[in-house]
Amino acid sequence: MAPNLPPKAPLEHSQSVAGSPAAHEEEHHYRSGPLRWLLTTNHKEIGTLYLIFSLSMFLIGGVMALVVRLELFQPGLQMVQPEFFNQMTTMHGLIMVFGAVMPAFVGLANWMVPLQIGAPDMALPRLNNFSFWLLPIAFTLLLATLLMPGGGPNFGWTFYAPLSTTYAPPSTTFFIFALHMAGISSILGAINIIATILNLRAPGMRLMDMTLFVWTWLITAFLLIAVMPVLAGVITMMLLDINFGTSFFNAAGGGDPVLFQHLFWFFGHPEVYIMILPAFGIVSVIVPTFARKRLFGYASMVYATASIAILSFLVWAHHMFAVGLPLVAELFFMYTTMLIAVPTGVKVFNWITTLFRGSITFETPMLFALAFIVLFTIGGFSGLMLAIAPADFQYHDTYFVVAHFHYVLVPGAVFSIMAAVYYWLPKWTGHYPDERIGRWHFWLSVIGVNLLFFPMHFAGLAGMPRRIPDYALQFADFNMASSIGGFLFGFSQLLFVWVIVKCVRGGAKAPAKAWEGASDLEWTLPSPAPLHTFETPPDLRGFKFH
Amino acid sequence: MRKMLVLAALMASVTGLSRAARAAGWNMPVGVTEVSRDVYGLHMVIFWICVIIGVIVFGIMFYSLFRYRRSKGAQAAHFHEHTTVEVFWTAIPLLILVAMAIPATATLKDMYDASEAELDVMVTGHQWRWHYHYMGEDITFFSNLDTPREQIDGTAEKGENYLLEVDQPLVLPVGRKVRLLMTSSDVIHSWWVPDLAVKKDAVPGFVNEAWTRIDEPGIYRGQCAELCGKDHAFMPVVVQAMEQEAFDTWLAERKQEAAAAASGVDREWKLEELVERGEKVYGSICASCHQADGQGTPPTFPALAGNQAMMDDLDWHIDVVVNGVSGSAMAAFSGTLNPVDLAAVITYERNAWGNETGDVVQPAEIQALIDP
Amino acid sequence: MWEVVKSVLSAFFGVQREQRRRRDFEQGKPGTFIVVGIVLAMLMVIVVMAIAIMAAG
Ligand code: HEM
Ligand SMILES: [Cu+2]
Ligand SMILES: [Cu+2]
Repeated sequence: MAPNLPPKAPLEHSQSVAGSPAAHEEEHHYRSGPLRWLLTTNHKEIGTLYLIFSLSMFLIGGVMALVVRLELFQPGLQMVQPEFFNQMTTMHGLIMVFGAVMPAFVGLANWMVPLQIGAPDMALPRLNNFSFWLLPIAFTLLLATLLMPGGGPNFGWTFYAPLSTTYAPPSTTFFIFALHMAGISSILGAINIIATILNLRAPGMRLMDMTLFVWTWLITAFLLIAVMPVLAGVITMMLLDINFGTSFFNAAGGGDPVLFQHLFWFFGHPEVYIMILPAFGIVSVIVPTFARKRLFGYASMVYATASIAILSFLVWAHHMFAVGLPLVAELFFMYTTMLIAVPTGVKVFNWITTLFRGSITFETPMLFALAFIVLFTIGGFSGLMLAIAPADFQYHDTYFVVAHFHYVLVPGAVFSIMAAVYYWLPKWTGHYPDERIGRWHFWLSVIGVNLLFFPMHFAGLAGMPRRIPDYALQFADFNMASSIGGFLFGFSQLLFVWVIVKCVRGGAKAPAKAWEGASDLEWTLPSPAPLHTFETPPDLRGFKFH
Repeated sequence: MRKMLVLAALMASVTGLSRAARAAGWNMPVGVTEVSRDVYGLHMVIFWICVIIGVIVFGIMFYSLFRYRRSKGAQAAHFHEHTTVEVFWTAIPLLILVAMAIPATATLKDMYDASEAELDVMVTGHQWRWHYHYMGEDITFFSNLDTPREQIDGTAEKGENYLLEVDQPLVLPVGRKVRLLMTSSDVIHSWWVPDLAVKKDAVPGFVNEAWTRIDEPGIYRGQCAELCGKDHAFMPVVVQAMEQEAFDTWLAERKQEAAAAASGVDREWKLEELVERGEKVYGSICASCHQADGQGTPPTFPALAGNQAMMDDLDWHIDVVVNGVSGSAMAAFSGTLNPVDLAAVITYERNAWGNETGDVVQPAEIQALIDP
Repeated sequence: MWEVVKSVLSAFFGVQREQRRRRDFEQGKPGTFIVVGIVLAMLMVIVVMAIAIMAAG
């Protein structure tokens, strides 16, 4: 496609909002009252909405995790009954994946993609508004299932049939509806991001000039469009099984429960990349800034990310090694998983080489990015171990797997989001986040997260299955340590909220270029970035990209 | 050279640590079968590969962080690409993994080769207990959690094998290849014993195959590994391995017991007898859903106490218990309970918790229903 | 064409030269890269499958 394509229709739109006198009045009208937030089509405001929504979900999902950790503090049933425990683990997973991590990345994309490519707004602003507002509705409905007769979803975030169909609580239909809405929101968001990146880049910015955050999001958006419909399909089949008497997954009617797992993981494995590729992008932007040195191997990073997208469709059954696949399938998926893990994993080396012979400082965003590199890699190591199919028979469905995916998702994806927030808060609010509280938040989170998740490796190896409310005595010490870590980590997040609130309300003033080593396009704008930016495309002659 | 020594010392102490870790139950058990030892070996090899890569990578990283701090006056260099280095550090892990794939493939093939088994056991997952059927021996039984409720609720001291004990373990002979055929009557379960390195999903409508050959007599404990609903945490697997002779004796005894238990189909049973026997069956099979007090947990599991529809329609009640309710969690029990137990539990349900119908269901009636 | 294949293969491997990337983006069309990428991915599936079948043999 022509890289210099001049922005067309969407620019007209943004001009008609901000440029013409009539629109100006409209804008002032927007500025008053809550309707402004309901009707806004501004990418920064929608980005903020996404981020606030994500943070709320992070806290709600976190409380559920603390219920789980409280029950698991000691062997025996103390706080909750198994029925409710299962609802807590399930809701925790669903909310964190679909309500916290994914919307946070979409929020960051809303804010930063236009600023990093010199676009006035997202390409499809009204659609943008719609895809955001689907989310609060979806998650209100999802949370409401907890109050329905029979309780909410209790079959795990992977909702394997027939536990989630024939044997599910009556509220499952609402769960399916909620997930459909969240899925539509994701697809629309992805379409919008692709349209923005491909059409609205400032004249003179070629694809190869884009930051890695924009690149990884472009690729993630394609992944989303490819797999969300598969999720929609599989939950629709569930809906039919539950309400219309079909037997897709009901063995008694000639259906196949394993088919469910194939479909789910065909969505599910790319989904885990959806949750990590934007994180790669964020870290690839932050590390060079604070190492004051260009990213090592930009070209490799871009190419590898693109190929991961294709190859991530070839490994899904590594989640199903114990389900009774034929030997050939087992071998195939073991080999592909090993093959793909390597080019993915070695990207870590690029970040480390970027640090090598840099000039490094340790502001809060950098601290989170560095912790990401170390702790995500630990999650990658356990991933390599899980890829060995015969050994996976022992690891599968134990706390070892729980440790693995929490390492890649919490000090992985979530830390990258926190790094991004600390990094871009000066641009969003015009103030630096409080370094002292930020450091406290960082260190308490790092200690908490490791105390929480590291012992889970041992518990799993020693034989503790996942998703159980009560356990044998030999797992007691690991669980007690995990629970203490969980509470430490959980309560540390209040500091995060505090930093953000404090930063919005005031603090040390940030200049346009808030970080000395920063070089991307957003830092040419004043801090805070005004509501409308790049209404006339920036002049990029002489601009040094990444 | 000194660095090498330090490294070697470090490795040695870590190896020692890992041995201690295993003894203290921090690591995967080595287990008691050839397969489990192979799996343990693979696990340790890949683990050490990760440790070594980790030490090198994190070492370089922390060195860089320390050495190139700006506060120490570090100036940034300008290099940002070196294809040879990148190719090199990608190729090495790739080669390591290819090397790993070879033994992993061999072990996997071994695990999949269930041919020439000397004993077949059908393992059926139920919510929430395992059912074992020694094929060709006509021995079948349920294996229920045997930990008292008080221990779970914390009103009694927890025993040594808390949650890992059953009323009747799966008894297997040592030194013989046993094929395990897994299936399920309701949702997906997963039969797992770490010491045997066997974990296989029990999927409704499918029969999966696994096998084991146990080297040493002993008791090996595991759990259901796939989330299967409310009492997923409470369906342990216990395998008792014994010498061939002891196993044969056990087999003979079980056969006699089974014959005794199934006898009496033809005679007339009294209400009290049936209720007494029915209460036991109810407690071990039905109470996990319908609750000991018959109150159930509506709407998922209906109450039986005071259930007017059930009391009014005896034939329907029998049909539900014997044939199950398709599309719901209520399983058909005709295949897993004998006619006497079925008659007893139905009679019990019609005469417990204030359900005073006075109805007596005779085993012969059920027998006639099952094979007319 | 051969150049495109080489670029896609190096993407699978995860390493690419800045110079070649520059050339790819200046001269190549995204369409060709995507098509070649998918074809090579299928080829990879076939090769890995063949290895798996042989290993299971
Ligand atoms: C080095 C790369 C990786 C490899 C080789 C790998 C491999 C695996 C394997 C084999 C499993 C299945 C384990 C089992 O259930 O027995 C698994 C589970 C999982 N992985 Fe990874 N993984 C990698 C990276 C990641 C990343 C980057 C993420 C997400 C950010 C991720 C998220 C997950 C999740 C969420 C699960 C568990 C899902 C569930 O069962 O609930 N993994 N991984
Ligand atoms: Cu996966
Ligand atoms: Cu189970």
